[in-house]
Amino acid sequence: MRSLFWKMFLSFWVALLLFAGATLFTTSHYLEHAQRQNEASSPRERLMQSVIEAQLIAERDGVDGLKQWLRERDRREPLPLFLVDSDGADLLGRPLPASVNERLAREERTPRQGRVAPRPRLIIRLPDQREYRLLADFHGVTLGRVLARPRVLALPLILATLIGGLVCFLLARSLTAPLGRLRRAAEIYAAGDLSARVAPSLGGRRDEIADLARAFDHMAQRLQEIMSSQRRLVGDVSHELRSPLARLQVALGLARQRTEGRGTAELDRIELEAERLSDLIGQLLSLAKLESGVTTVAIQPVDLAELLEGVASDADFEARAHNRRVTLSSSVPAVIEGDARLLQSALDNIVRNALRYTADGTSVTLSLTREHAPTEHWCITIHDHGPGVPEAMLPLLFEPFVRVGDARDRASGGYGLGLAIAQRAIRLHAGEVSARNEPEGGLTVIVRLPVINPTV
Amino acid sequence: MSRILLVDDDTEQTDMLSQYLANEGFTVDSAHDGETALAKARSGRFDLLVLDVMLPGKNGFDVLRELRLQSLLPVLMLTARDEDIDSVVGLELGADDYLPKPCNPRVLVARIRAILRRAGGNGPEHKAPQTLTVGDVELHTGTRNVLCAGRPLTLTSTEYSVLEVLLREAGQAVSKTELSERALGRKLTRYDRSLDMHVSSLRKKLGALAGGEERIKTVRGIGYQYTRP
Repeated sequence: MRSLFWKMFLSFWVALLLFAGATLFTTSHYLEHAQRQNEASSPRERLMQSVIEAQLIAERDGVDGLKQWLRERDRREPLPLFLVDSDGADLLGRPLPASVNERLAREERTPRQGRVAPRPRLIIRLPDQREYRLLADFHGVTLGRVLARPRVLALPLILATLIGGLVCFLLARSLTAPLGRLRRAAEIYAAGDLSARVAPSLGGRRDEIADLARAFDHMAQRLQEIMSSQRRLVGDVSHELRSPLARLQVALGLARQRTEGRGTAELDRIELEAERLSDLIGQLLSLAKLESGVTTVAIQPVDLAELLEGVASDADFEARAHNRRVTLSSSVPAVIEGDARLLQSALDNIVRNALRYTADGTSVTLSLTREHAPTEHWCITIHDHGPGVPEAMLPLLFEPFVRVGDARDRASGGYGLGLAIAQRAIRLHAGEVSARNEPEGGLTVIVRLPVINPTV
Repeated sequence: MSRILLVDDDTEQTDMLSQYLANEGFTVDSAHDGETALAKARSGRFDLLVLDVMLPGKNGFDVLRELRLQSLLPVLMLTARDEDIDSVVGLELGADDYLPKPCNPRVLVARIRAILRRAGGNGPEHKAPQTLTVGDVELHTGTRNVLCAGRPLTLTSTEYSVLEVLLREAGQAVSKTELSERALGRKLTRYDRSLDMHVSSLRKKLGALAGGEERIKTVRGIGYQYTRP
């Protein structure tokens, strides 16, 4: 069906028509059935049958059986029956309706005489000789009583449940299934896979949901183009900046040669800034390459434990100069398939970032463990004793140029690219990196890398 | 006075760098494309070639590959900072060292001097000419010749230096830090794979021992060790 509008409209319409039809059919069926019964026997004869039935019950089960039978019958049949004793009280203690009382009163006023053949009385006699008269309240057959008797309503109700249920189930499923696919695609897209599209998974669908999917795909396509052109721009600009920077560095060297020790402070400053610029451009290029997916990954067995040890000891060496330490608290033998250089630079960036924030005189603690849930993976944690990060900033921590504070970060010399590069490199290894604040203070960055062969 | 051939397509950069190197006491000539560079390098007038990877026409790798067919002229490659693979390829093709661009000219001069020291045999290892013999490998420090099972090997000056240090310490592990300082004449830097590349090409040239055992073993977490038979 082309349009969701018509699908919903027709579904409800057809369901209602079917329900109405089923109700009409069963009602008329019931009425015909009742009529046939009426034709077969007069109401009085049917009452007689009831009397015979009741008499049998009374003789067999006594007054309790009779009460049971009367209650049972009242629940089943729309026509109310009363069993009235000689004092004019109902067997079940129900108040008698006005019409029945009236009839009893009328009979009393005009006692039957011999001129009319006495009509067989509807009398039930109990074994202890008590007598009950069966009275039917024909005025008591109200719509409420008819509807309250399940036998009459059962079929339409069942049909309504089945037909309505089936139609609504199919409708709901055809509505929610593609919406679920749309949601999953949006989640995948948000997680960074900009190639996620929905429309191909909807087959030949051509309704409003397919339109929505196509609109989503179009938006995704546009965003992907914008993102990639932006990345290309960053890459190209960084690339082009390198030539003038290289010349600047040579010119600086020439100036140093020429001045022979004069103006050294200024030249040192220019050199420092040129080095910073060079580092920044290098990082930008690394990030641009990692994001564009053209990074050449040299896959080989990497000893993760050894690599982490190396990162820890290198960083520790530099940290000591700033009265800080880097320690490896626990480690397990771990070998993965990957690019050692990329992994090392990723871990290095994270450890360096931790060192930047950990308090003076404290240490950054690394650990390597194997975890089994949700899947088998190596878990590397990097814990610092710093101020932590505002909860709202945690998800943004791995975006380029995101800063938690301002002045302090700049003073400590970060470019806000280290964690972004680390995350891209870890992702290239099918891993994930996250961060959390510890209750006792400090930030922990968690790197998870899949165990390729769980039996190793 | 050492003669250096500077190959880079950025003429402004080359001019300034030539001047800088001249001030440092080198004789400098330059080329801006692959063909000219190769012709000049083959002339035998130079002690060292500083070669940029990105060149119009014949690129730096092509030049190096063709040059290595007939010459062991020491080569320092200048690679793009973000192209790690370039340094690996360059070293595989027989470059003596590499430096990412943009680089500080002081670092460049230090690298040039380290390579020239190795090539000239004036390294700190050098005393009186001597012959190191370990198994079937003979290394003559006077002539810088290496014989493996009587067959002369063609080694670049850097490969020669690495082998010399390993042979002197044969049977013992030499840490990468030490090997870098003694053989390359510089400190080991982060992510530096040049030692691994030099060792790898040495292994290829030397071949395995008679028993199929590797001559230069990797000692995990430390460095390398030449197997004493």
